[in-house]
Amino acid sequence: MPPPSPSDSRPSLLAQFPRAWAAVLAGGLIGSAGRVGISHYLPVSPGRFPIATLLVNLSGSLLLAAYLARRERTVTARWSLHFWGIGVFGSFTTFSAFGFEVMDLLDRGAMLAAASYVAASIGGGLILGLLGQRFASGVR
Amino acid sequence: MIGVAVIAGAVGALCRYLLSGFVQERIDSHLPVGTLAVNLSGAFLLGLVAGIDNLEGGMTLTAAGFLGGFTTFSTWMVETIRLGIPPLRARALANLTIALIAGVALVAAGYSLTN
Repeated sequence: MPPPSPSDSRPSLLAQFPRAWAAVLAGGLIGSAGRVGISHYLPVSPGRFPIATLLVNLSGSLLLAAYLARRERTVTARWSLHFWGIGVFGSFTTFSAFGFEVMDLLDRGAMLAAASYVAASIGGGLILGLLGQRFASGVR
Repeated sequence: MIGVAVIAGAVGALCRYLLSGFVQERIDSHLPVGTLAVNLSGAFLLGLVAGIDNLEGGMTLTAAGFLGGFTTFSTWMVETIRLGIPPLRARALANLTIALIAGVALVAAGYSLTN
């Protein structure tokens, strides 16, 4: 059996209505509140290094990886993956804002900022994801 | 106003769950195509919205909130690690480069369509 992935949704999406949907929605409210809150209290002027998005994306990658590693070793509630994995940690992070900010920095000719933003996001996301996995696997 | 962006983000999360599951079930691939589908379409849509100059502020906030919840960075990272890091395997590298290059290109494409 392949390891569970946050994008897994078998069996049929419609058959899981309405509890799976409610779990994703409720988790999505919490994750979105965190993301919107951080970007509100940590405003970044156009052309500057997008620290707010970097912060949510890196911490979210750590948390999701740790949650999934822990989930493999413990018994979790029926809709836990929908609520935490897909809802909370999935919607706390964002790809669209990341893509827009990279394009915007490139467009302004801020090549160094664009390159370091991409490197910090992807390099940091992978390293923190691995760390989260290791840490959660070691914790009982 | 912030509350609207949060609610839009939750609806975005539900749409991500449905679309990524739908795509993943139907396309046979070694790559996590469900996540690629939501992230790339979300990036294009954000480009479209950002390109509209005279869009009302609340509308922009709602759309950005929705697309923030619709797309996901954490799942992209975790699925890349699952494909084989370390050492970096070809599939993991493909999952990274396709999303990065196509994501930025699609934001730019959306932006230039409306701006």
